[in-house]
Amino acid sequence: MTAGEWIIEATELTKTFPGGVVALDRFTLAVRRGEVIVVIGPSGSGKSTFLRCLNGLEEIDSGAIVIDGIPLDQHRKNRLLIRQEVGIVFQSFNLFPHMTVRENIDLAQIRVRKKTQAEAAETTMELLKKVGITEKADRYPHELSGGQQQRVAIARALAMSPKVMLFDEATSALDPEMIGEVLEVMRALAAEGMTMVVVTHEMGFAREAGDRIVFMDAGRIVEEGETARLFEAPREERTKAFLSQIL
Amino acid sequence: MNLPFHRAAAVRRTALIDFGKFFLLAGIAVWLLSAGTRGLGYDWQWYRVPRFLLSTEGGVWTAGPLLQGLLVTLEISTLSLVCTLVLGLTAALFRLSASFTARALARGYLELIRNTPLLIQIFFVYFVLSPVLDIGAFASAVLALSLFEGAYAAEILRAGIVSLHRGQWEAAHSLGLGAFDTYRYVILPQAVRRVLPPLAGQAISLIKDSSLVSTIAIYDLTMQGQKIVSETFLAFEIWFTVAAIYLVMTFGLSLAVRALERRMNGAPLRGVGGLA
Repeated sequence: MTAGEWIIEATELTKTFPGGVVALDRFTLAVRRGEVIVVIGPSGSGKSTFLRCLNGLEEIDSGAIVIDGIPLDQHRKNRLLIRQEVGIVFQSFNLFPHMTVRENIDLAQIRVRKKTQAEAAETTMELLKKVGITEKADRYPHELSGGQQQRVAIARALAMSPKVMLFDEATSALDPEMIGEVLEVMRALAAEGMTMVVVTHEMGFAREAGDRIVFMDAGRIVEEGETARLFEAPREERTKAFLSQIL
Repeated sequence: MNLPFHRAAAVRRTALIDFGKFFLLAGIAVWLLSAGTRGLGYDWQWYRVPRFLLSTEGGVWTAGPLLQGLLVTLEISTLSLVCTLVLGLTAALFRLSASFTARALARGYLELIRNTPLLIQIFFVYFVLSPVLDIGAFASAVLALSLFEGAYAAEILRAGIVSLHRGQWEAAHSLGLGAFDTYRYVILPQAVRRVLPPLAGQAISLIKDSSLVSTIAIYDLTMQGQKIVSETFLAFEIWFTVAAIYLVMTFGLSLAVRALERRMNGAPLRGVGGLA
């Protein structure tokens, strides 16, 4: 099966949390190779749940997810492949605190991609250069600022050479003065042609880097469209109301 | 705990008062003890003790029965500690496993072991299992102690594992790490470091509990003490000596663990680099 144009195909996803909160309600979205999708919407609208379902961190109740031609089904092999091909950056960084920056980035390259120590070290330094913190390679995460930690987390995800990068409110836990440095790395990544699905409240980033905007509410897509069109001329009342609050 | 206000209070209190209190208490303890033995009319004969530790025959130093017993205790404790950790880790992982059978097995083991006395378990292993498995007293002792302490170690390790933030699992998951690598490189190094103090406490319990193996004819430190006392009637001297030897062992162990903790905090352990 060849993947063709679409790298992410999510069809009719539903997910209800125990307790009855509907996080995804027949949610359908397809993403092209190299596209940057920005998912916006009020909190609790299911944005993060959607991202977390894409790499199997959450289970969908029904529907289908296909990543680059591989279905995210009950086959262990497929699930493992998808975990390796989809990188995610979390709001809370989730670096491994007992490892240095270098070791954080080396780990999966050596254990999963089976690279040698030297090959991994080379990639790690390249990635650290890319995110602009080569001088912190031998520091521990707690010795870094929030912005630096998040940039390491991005480098760590990139070390797997993923086909898709997911960003789950990557700047929400940061002090305001550190948001810029992380967004800059994300912008550079988008410019390189990385396929990205970004959940964020940073409308400046959405406008500038997003190819397409998806506005979600109550587990459904209320409106989606090309970035400029959606911001300038939203069609739905709820989109207008949300944008007027946030802009 | 080094909370700031504790430290501040300690600075205000002069060391002199602390020392004074300590010696006062120690003095009271010594006086009580000597008053008690005077009342008994006990005839202290400390000079007879050293030969049970070390003896010289023809200019050659040989270990007395107490040191020989200490060696046996150390052997049993060390072997049991290794088995305890292996068993504890296995049981902890079984309890956290997705498999119902593994969870039930671990649960059954923990409940059975933690709700029956160690002495009965030692007897059970020695009198019931050892003929079946065809193992000797020494192996029975190690098996019984490992089974017992392993159940407690399992709960300690499990607590350490579940105390880690969910994000650590999620990060490992999203990097494509398998279950083994996730535990080996991400979860266990952090969990073990967190539970090192209670784990050390369990190791100390193990050393003390090992004295119960004297009941199945193993000549450990306690058994040797018992034998000497029955032959010489030096009850106070020998039991004090035996207790002091246990104290040196356990105190030494807790000092070692504390040093290990300090080293881990100072320079977090080597990660992938050295282990890959």
